[in-house]
Amino acid sequence: MKQKDKLFYCAQCGTMHVRNGGVEKLDYEIAEFSPNAQGEKVFMPFWRVYASLIVRSKNVEGGTLFKIANFLKGGDSGNMFIYIPAADLNTGDFRRMAVQFTSSPPRYSTRLKFGNEVRIPAAISKQEAAELADFVVVTMEAEQPGVLQRLDYTLTVNDTKLVYLPYVRNAQGQLMPGL
Amino acid sequence: MDISVGLNCPTCGGAISLPEGETTISCQYCGSALFVEGDQGVTTIAFKNKALKDAAVASTQHWWTHGLKARDLKKVGKINEAYPIYLPFWKTTTRVAGWICGYEERRHTDQKGNVRVEKIPKEVMVLQDYVFSEIACDPGDLGIRTLKNMVGETSFADFDMIPTFEATTSKDAAVTKAKGDALAKARASAHVPHVTFEKLHVFAKALTMIYYPIWVVRYSYRDRMYMDTVDGVTGQVMSGRAPGDPLFQALAVTFGAAGGGLVAAGSIIYAGASYANDVRIAGVGLVVGAVILFLAYRFFRHGSERVQGEFKEKHAGVGDLLKQAQQVSKTLEGLR
Repeated sequence: MKQKDKLFYCAQCGTMHVRNGGVEKLDYEIAEFSPNAQGEKVFMPFWRVYASLIVRSKNVEGGTLFKIANFLKGGDSGNMFIYIPAADLNTGDFRRMAVQFTSSPPRYSTRLKFGNEVRIPAAISKQEAAELADFVVVTMEAEQPGVLQRLDYTLTVNDTKLVYLPYVRNAQGQLMPGL
Repeated sequence: MDISVGLNCPTCGGAISLPEGETTISCQYCGSALFVEGDQGVTTIAFKNKALKDAAVASTQHWWTHGLKARDLKKVGKINEAYPIYLPFWKTTTRVAGWICGYEERRHTDQKGNVRVEKIPKEVMVLQDYVFSEIACDPGDLGIRTLKNMVGETSFADFDMIPTFEATTSKDAAVTKAKGDALAKARASAHVPHVTFEKLHVFAKALTMIYYPIWVVRYSYRDRMYMDTVDGVTGQVMSGRAPGDPLFQALAVTFGAAGGGLVAAGSIIYAGASYANDVRIAGVGLVVGAVILFLAYRFFRHGSERVQGEFKEKHAGVGDLLKQAQQVSKTLEGLR
């Protein structure tokens, strides 16, 4: 079935907007392809959520290593960028990309227009991205050594930006990062 | 074939053709960027009715020969009519993302009878898409509430010839139910008996209205009327009622009572023997005997009519009965 894009882009004025009862202009940026990227070039949409995380308390069974690692990083609270894939991905790819880009944010130079490159339709809304950011944060906490038993925290979304990251479709039809 | 919608550009009046499903277009005359708004619809799919009348009747007659129905049903039963209908179903895909943390307790008993409870911490990630389907109209006595098959050729070609039931339930209600169903399934799949932390997010990913072809077959048996439904895509019987057999009922109650009694009495005798001398064996035997008797009674009580499908008052199947029996035995175990 043809996937519809929830986001609308005007090639004339370069405005990206969403319609959900009214028009909302979106802040976005487009990452430039690596000069070495070969194959069919596409842009994958991500919501980059800038959020403040405050962990008030937690209980982890068998989390000795976790505490040491955490101490070295300097605590549980702070601001962070959380990347949420906005395309309609399967659950495995969604989790992998979200955790990968959130734990090591991509570095890229930007470009102003998409040119003739294809945009993969966005299926996840900004509001859903905020909720999924919460899921990614708990995932990263839970994936530390030890078994998470309780997590008392607050995640405040300060800003959300749409980021189109470059991908290249290889001969097998798989999408590979084009950064 | 693509369907195009004809419109006029509000700026220059030029005729524009918009492919179905598209919402944005640039006017080819004046270059204006246009957005087309309308009622937010629902994707609708109709499955092609592949089964012919003879195949639906043959499926019904084949179904008569299975599942403890009256033994002479195939000989005496008479098909009165068979006709196809389209039934509407909501199909939703819901994603659940989150974590469920907690623990489970395992009891260990040593040789002296001391019980030690081990607490095993668990953290389970839930990231799963769940498909939910529900009939979108009152199914009456058809015994169909959910859609099992989602694979088949789609076409609206039969719509003019086959009576179609209109959807009477709202899409919002369907989405709400789908979310509740997905949450319940997600919690069940996590297998965390004692939850200490839970954070689950539910998203409705897709909503589709499916019109599904179903054959209604009415038949008679010894002056009584019965009905079953046959899947118009797969040709399998979906639901129906059929006469049971008095012989099977009589056998069930006879052997059930005898078997249950033997098991109970045997366990009491065995428990009292000098080499066993364990009252727990008698307790377990009594419970097993009672369960056998209960199952036999249930079959005797409801065996005059065999029911298949999702009827509201559907009698419990063997699986449900076994679950009930397990619950009874757990309760009794807890009382001891």
